[in-house]
Amino acid sequence: MLKLTSINTSYGHIRALKGISIEVNKGEIVCLLGSNGAGKTTALMTVSGILKPDSGDIYFERESIKGLAPHLIVKKGICQVPEGRRIFPKFTVLENLETGAFVSAVQNFNKNLERVFSLFPILKERKNQTAGTLSGGEQQMLAIGRALMSNPRLLLLDEPSLGLAPILAGKIFKTIAEINNEGITILLVEQNANAALKLSHRGYVLENGSIKLHGSGEELLHNEDLKKAYLGI
Amino acid sequence: MFLQQLINGLTLGSVYAIIALGYTMVYGILELINFAHGEIYMLGAYLVIIFLGIFTAMGLTSANFTLALILSIILTVVFCSAYGFTVEKVAYKPLRNAPRLSPLISAIGVSIFLQNFIMLTQGATDRGFPYRFGEGHLYFLNVDITYLQAMIIIVSGFLMFSLRIFIWKTRIGKAMRATSQDKTMAALVGINVNSIISVTFIIGAGLAAVAGVMVAAYYGLINYFIGYIAGIKAFTAAVLGGIGSIRGAMVGGIILGLVEGLGAAYISSEYKDAFAFIILIIILLIKPSGIYGREIDEKV
Repeated sequence: MLKLTSINTSYGHIRALKGISIEVNKGEIVCLLGSNGAGKTTALMTVSGILKPDSGDIYFERESIKGLAPHLIVKKGICQVPEGRRIFPKFTVLENLETGAFVSAVQNFNKNLERVFSLFPILKERKNQTAGTLSGGEQQMLAIGRALMSNPRLLLLDEPSLGLAPILAGKIFKTIAEINNEGITILLVEQNANAALKLSHRGYVLENGSIKLHGSGEELLHNEDLKKAYLGI
Repeated sequence: MFLQQLINGLTLGSVYAIIALGYTMVYGILELINFAHGEIYMLGAYLVIIFLGIFTAMGLTSANFTLALILSIILTVVFCSAYGFTVEKVAYKPLRNAPRLSPLISAIGVSIFLQNFIMLTQGATDRGFPYRFGEGHLYFLNVDITYLQAMIIIVSGFLMFSLRIFIWKTRIGKAMRATSQDKTMAALVGINVNSIISVTFIIGAGLAAVAGVMVAAYYGLINYFIGYIAGIKAFTAAVLGGIGSIRGAMVGGIILGLVEGLGAAYISSEYKDAFAFIILIIILLIKPSGIYGREIDEKV
């Protein structure tokens, strides 16, 4: 469904991605692991079109999306929930969800809204509250809900559990599985390698901008190097 | 006397408010002080005179003055909007990811360019507005309001009201508000950020053009340098209201006009232009964020 081939992306003279190739198949949850600065966020921002790769290609459903403007990539069906959630703080919860629906057909609005509210009932309760006043967990739910409003086929999630209490993080992971069950393919970036691998069909490990390991979730979970480096076991 | 000055100040203030809106909208979205914005107002004043001249040559002005005036104003707004759109594409867009000082310098460059272009093509001497209109008077509570003053206040009020509706009630307006909060995120939810920026410049320039037309008619005299002083006053109005805030620009403009009008009447008309800067210094000392420039607490 999504295929990155030998992608190189730089910030000025610093090369953040050094020829990475990643593939995500329809229906999968694929996670991208790695420490700070490994290039995980850069990879997602490159897919979303915010960063332009120097070389390599990105295919979405066999069609090259490299160099497309970000809003056109969203229209194609790839939506990202970026790191730090980045909800619109001055908008209410409902207005945030409305911005998510900018690219999808108007007649789907109510259906999508119902779906988001059934996934996250707390958002329905708080729909008229200013989003900047929500708790971290609620903001994360809102960010995911906002992305779902665009009716994506591929959801890019950047560190959805960052800064959340373990119980909330667990809830977010459960929701991700639920969203995937509804048929949405997911590319997940996480620092919480353990939880991410348990959830994922496959995983890639990034180190200094290159893919170091690649395998099924189960394989990576039991990989000795990975255990030492990221799982702290 | 007091009421009379209040009306004069209100007339001036509504013009400032309209120019200030362009500053504040661009700042809200790009965090750029568009120092070339005042020049658009000057361009508007010149263009309306030029278009009126063309219609006079065609014989339309004598046949139907109102029609000629309306057509001239529409053409002026279209030209100025196109100019604002082009300036953004040529002078600011290539610098979108440059250090913040670069677009500011670029803006000053654009401003110097347009001033000198007008000076060379239109002459360095004052130009008079070729027609007097709206010279009738309304007397109300001992206050003398010319039709033109009333028109300026009504047109400004209407434009501000329409802009508010546009920003708060339409889809593009919501996209503008989202873009002003977080450009990258706006792009990630599927908003065409470049178009939104263009729309902002087009609207800002169109408003400044209308302000230019109104002032050309009100004072009856323009020169290539009027954009500079008006630009700085409108900038002060935007800062006074809280830069980035639409409501702030409106309120700031009106307050500034009233202070100038009353200050000129009761303190000294020689210091008329100084009041704007006194206000600017006072706000920067007391409340740099302006009247409506409150930051909302954001949780991360």
